[in-house]
Amino acid sequence: MVTVMKILEIIVSPLVALIVGIFFLGLFRKMMARIQWRYGPPLIQPVIDLVRLFNQRGFSHGAVFDLGIILSLAGALVLVLFIPIGGMCPLANSGGLLVILYVMLFAPIGIALSGGEGANPNISIGISRKLILTLSYEVPFIFIILSLMSYYQTISIVEIVKAQAHYHWSLFSPLFLSGVAYFMILPAMLGIRPFDMASAPQEISSGIDVEYGGKYLAFSQIEHALSLFIVIALFVNLFLGGGNLPVFLLKMLAVFVCGVFIHASFPRFRIEQATKYLWFWPTIISFISLIVIQLIR
Amino acid sequence: MLIQSILIIAFGGAFLTYILGKASSALRDFLAVLISVSLTVLIFLAYGKTGEIAFASFMNLPLVLRINHLSWFFAIAIQTVTTLSVIFSLSYMKGKERVDFYYLMMLLCNSAMLGIVLSGDFVSFYIFWEIMSWSAFLLISYNRGGALYAGMKYIVMSIIGSMCMLIGIMSLYSTYGTLNIREIHDLISTASGEYLLFISILFLAAFGVKSALWPIHVWLPPAHSEAPSPFSAVLSSILIKMGIYGFVLILYVISGAALYLGLGGGSFRYILTLLAAITIIIPTFNALMQDDAKRLLAWSSIAQIGYIILGISIGTSLGLIGGLFHFFNHVAFKALLFLAVGAIEYRTGTRDLNSLGGLIKKMPVTFIAVLAGTFGLIGIPLTNGFVSKWLIYKTLILNNHPFLAFAALVGTWGTILYSYKLIHNIFLGQLPENLEHTKPAPASMKLPFIILSVVIVLFGILPGIPLKLINLITASLGFDLLNINIWGIASESGPLNIINIFAAFAVALIVVWFFFLISGKKVVISQDNSYAAGIDVPKGKYHYTVDFYNPMFRMIKPYFRDYMDEFYSQLVKALASLSDRVRRLYCGDLGVYVIYIVLFLSILVISKIGLNLW
Amino acid sequence: MVNPILLIIAPLSAAFIIPLMGYGLKRIVKFIPPLVMGFNLVVSLSLAPKVIKNPIIVFLGGFPPPFGINLYVGPLGILFSCVISLVGFIVSIYALNYIKQGAEQKYHALYLLLLTGATGIVLTGDIFNLFVFYEILCISSYALVGYTGEKAGIESASKYLIQGSLGSSLILIAIALLYGKFGTLNMADMASRIDSVHTMELFFPLVLFITGMGVESAIFPLNAWLPDAHSSAPSTISAILSGIAIKIGIYALCRVIFTIFGATDILQFLMLLGLVTLLVGEFSAFSQDNIKRMLAYSSTGQIGLIVFAMGVGTQYGISGGLFQFTTHALSKSLLFLTTGYMIYRAGSMKISALEGMGKKMPLTSVAFTIGAFSLIGLPPFIGFPSKFMIVYSVLARQSGLYIVFLALVLAGTVIEGAYFFKVIQAIYFKGERKDDRAKEAPLSALIPVIILVLLIIGIGIYPKVLTSILDSSAAELLDRIGYIKEALK
Repeated sequence: MVTVMKILEIIVSPLVALIVGIFFLGLFRKMMARIQWRYGPPLIQPVIDLVRLFNQRGFSHGAVFDLGIILSLAGALVLVLFIPIGGMCPLANSGGLLVILYVMLFAPIGIALSGGEGANPNISIGISRKLILTLSYEVPFIFIILSLMSYYQTISIVEIVKAQAHYHWSLFSPLFLSGVAYFMILPAMLGIRPFDMASAPQEISSGIDVEYGGKYLAFSQIEHALSLFIVIALFVNLFLGGGNLPVFLLKMLAVFVCGVFIHASFPRFRIEQATKYLWFWPTIISFISLIVIQLIR
Repeated sequence: MLIQSILIIAFGGAFLTYILGKASSALRDFLAVLISVSLTVLIFLAYGKTGEIAFASFMNLPLVLRINHLSWFFAIAIQTVTTLSVIFSLSYMKGKERVDFYYLMMLLCNSAMLGIVLSGDFVSFYIFWEIMSWSAFLLISYNRGGALYAGMKYIVMSIIGSMCMLIGIMSLYSTYGTLNIREIHDLISTASGEYLLFISILFLAAFGVKSALWPIHVWLPPAHSEAPSPFSAVLSSILIKMGIYGFVLILYVISGAALYLGLGGGSFRYILTLLAAITIIIPTFNALMQDDAKRLLAWSSIAQIGYIILGISIGTSLGLIGGLFHFFNHVAFKALLFLAVGAIEYRTGTRDLNSLGGLIKKMPVTFIAVLAGTFGLIGIPLTNGFVSKWLIYKTLILNNHPFLAFAALVGTWGTILYSYKLIHNIFLGQLPENLEHTKPAPASMKLPFIILSVVIVLFGILPGIPLKLINLITASLGFDLLNINIWGIASESGPLNIINIFAAFAVALIVVWFFFLISGKKVVISQDNSYAAGIDVPKGKYHYTVDFYNPMFRMIKPYFRDYMDEFYSQLVKALASLSDRVRRLYCGDLGVYVIYIVLFLSILVISKIGLNLW
Repeated sequence: MVNPILLIIAPLSAAFIIPLMGYGLKRIVKFIPPLVMGFNLVVSLSLAPKVIKNPIIVFLGGFPPPFGINLYVGPLGILFSCVISLVGFIVSIYALNYIKQGAEQKYHALYLLLLTGATGIVLTGDIFNLFVFYEILCISSYALVGYTGEKAGIESASKYLIQGSLGSSLILIAIALLYGKFGTLNMADMASRIDSVHTMELFFPLVLFITGMGVESAIFPLNAWLPDAHSSAPSTISAILSGIAIKIGIYALCRVIFTIFGATDILQFLMLLGLVTLLVGEFSAFSQDNIKRMLAYSSTGQIGLIVFAMGVGTQYGISGGLFQFTTHALSKSLLFLTTGYMIYRAGSMKISALEGMGKKMPLTSVAFTIGAFSLIGLPPFIGFPSKFMIVYSVLARQSGLYIVFLALVLAGTVIEGAYFFKVIQAIYFKGERKDDRAKEAPLSALIPVIILVLLIIGIGIYPKVLTSILDSSAAELLDRIGYIKEALK
């Protein structure tokens, strides 16, 4: 019975992530349109796009071009298995947050490899920006993760969620500053404005995605949807106390809506400005938080 | 007997190779490979043996060889890398000058390193250590030009280190009357804290130089980048690890964990871990800014050494296991990367990252090797580097060192950036026109690539194989046995289970692959077709590998200069001008010379009569 | 049993026979020094085992001391005599082809005289006799330095002459003072009475001895003659001067300090003197671009190390110092001999002129490398065990000050390493030689070089061959009472 449940979880949780992620993509476009006083596409437009893209012809530049995109999507799918989704966490006992930190590498590296083979100058610029941005937000992010692990004395994300259920959300605990810092870097992790310089459509023709067409673009979109889901789900799990599936999804929706508002109201940073910002306020706040945690422990 | 025969074959083989080389080069190549392979087999056979043999005596001190799990572990790593490097050299060194000499020094250095890990007392340890140092010096200087400066830097720093070690060893001898490592271990518990600290600092300097710990790392980047590539592999993956072996020896085999943790009231460990953390951060960012592939890898070696020392210096069993495992993994992937870059240099004649690109179609096997190597280096799950780094992080977090853990994690992200730069600038992007006719790496180079890549992936999926041995080593050093199975490590505070990750990945890959296959067709087109619309574009201008991380450089460059190197250069300059001044004491004027004599005499007289000094 | 006096008589008489040899025999003149030195070597070696057990005392003229002159052939003397004859033998073989132009006969005669003086100093038991031999040594070396007749040689020879005679006269004054006080010239007799006199009265002779002998043994700041003399002499003479002559000065100094005066309270001063000499020597060598000058400065550095070790004053330390003496005698003569032909082929003493020699003169270059490694103290060469002993002896004193001294000494070693490695790089890894003039040295030069290399490696791997003689030599220096008893028996 346990194994059946487990297998069910393994199948269900990526599906949930996929559905929610794609729904978010649709919602994103709809909300942006409404903010800009447009009508906007229907909510299921991303699904329509995906179906169409899957049946179109795609251009390829070689083996690594294919392999990279597959690797990145597979990485994103595996990552979902490590994240508790309303009580489901198929790979709870396989290394915890540390492994999550690492599995998060797959998506950008896979995309970068694939794009590198594409040899379009726009891709090179996009990758360079993307990797620098990642390094930039990773500094405060690591401080945040370390504060969490050192406050809860575990590297298991399931344990952290459980602990919040017993007491209160991390956001309303001594980890408050960490939560704030996480929220400050959330746009960078999601790749939305003001941090969308890696995929700036008007400037470098969507950067990494520029050579993708057909199923490649579809894969890239799915990967994008999954990573939206993952970043927000992590925030909800780590700071907003998780909860059962409907509560969990509601919390995610709330965070996502905030993200869309941020996206809608900011212009784009240049990459240096982004790095400067990320290495300043979020880093300082998360660093103070880490020190506070060390002091009260 | 087995240990002696290993060393005899190693040293004898080195000289025999040289002599044979004078007669026939084909025979020499064959012999070099034969000796390396047979040594690998011999060492492999010695697995699990423990023992101690006094084989000679020197200045009334017995010279002892000993083998145990620890030395076997290091010996097999050394010999494997040398063997692969020798095989690689077959084509790499063809037609170069002084090939006999090259093989002699390569094998001599190898023998000396084997001697270091197999020696059971400090005299033989020191003797082998010095032989290793000078033979490596001769090989680092081999490439002439800039290599000369690199060699000088290396040898001067390593002499300083070994002088520190000599004082330490002799001090141990004069205090305990023996230099046998086992006997010193039994006696050292009686030592006073200050004495132990004194000895530890001396050895820290000695081993720190060799393993390129942060403030004394400056010899490494030039030495590793200027040496012949197969020897760079040896240098980077095993020679600097002799420093690691030394650290394990002095911290755990001699002192033992309890004494080490109490050293100087715990401050010694604190400083060591701090140095290790700095060793991760600064070199990582320095690596990011390099345009020479080998120099990039050299800086990366320093950073990885930081991880290893961090793991070792924490002083818990998990950390030591992580450190030792990371040592082993670094041996595998850094050897692989240096050899691969060597193959690229061999085929294209350059290792400048700004003038390469698009070689994936020309050298696919080398690409896979570099991919495996960098994945291991980053620590992507399912490569061996992941497991060891996971162990190190976990140790740091469980023992409440969040700031050290931060250094380690940020180092990893830096690693991603420079690793990707390495892959992208060599293999991806556009192929420069002058490299259109690049041939793939020859078979003798591919063999080491394949073996090392398999090792990286195999031990990434089945980390239990080496971890079991390392567990035995840490147990022999007085730690508790950990619960290790073939898939990973089972512990209360969060286990690691590679099989789950592996299975998940396999399934995810298959699923995605399946969708990839059933969905719409793909058309393979030339790289220029889509963005240049098939028009012939000047490739030089569209090749975006130059200054790949330029926005970042502009920000960090002022902060990540190699200040230590500049400091040492100033020091050397000051010393040189001082020496010039001292030399001018001998001015050539006879009158002055006579005054020296008279002055000397009168100072002696005055000091006695006037000042009554003695 | 062979009479040890042969060790002095043989070279002395050979030296006087050489000029007498007619023109017809001129060709074989050059074979006399190797023969005589070979003979000396055999005699010294055959005496060694006996002497280690019991020193041999020989009375000259039949009068026992304190009235007659005696030879005291102890382990220390025989150690020095072995090394002198060994190096003398090897260098004379090398000279067979190397010395071609100039006053060949005079060269060989002076060469033998120099070695006679050296052997005499280490064997005699009489202080005035020591002075006489000392003068023989010095005067023949002045002449040999200027032997080539080039301007630089003559100039440095005359500088050497003036400084050397200044030193000699100081020694003479010291001897006169002592003679006036004790009425004896026999060292053992003098030593037995020295405690009866107030230290202030002994002070002047001691200081004069230190200064006078310091000149010949090249202690800073008395060694200003050395770089000029060593670099302008022919390489064979440089080898002998560096390998033997300056060490004889140290022997005499130690004899005076340890045996006659028993002045163990100045040992720390001696250590300091050694340290300063070492550092100044190494520093000066560091910025040299003339290979022979560099080697000469390195010699003063090594002298400093020997004096330093002697200053440690323990049995082990003095053994270490004597071992270092042997190391330096072998290694430095090897270095001078190898550079001899390199310079000859290159036509210049500049280090940059030696670039690319590694390919043209492979054996010579390897020998040079080995000599340099050995001097730096790298295993498995002879320099390692000697450095090992010195370091150990200093640390065995268990004192913080000594550790600081040791650190400075080892810093000197680092500098030494730096300049030697630079030369090695120049020889092997710099420049390409196109000229055909540079070819391997002739066999007569290679044989001595190979002998030295084998000795350096052999003793380096198996230092035990020397330990018994070193230990008993050190014991002889430290055991004043024993010396007096044996000599006055």
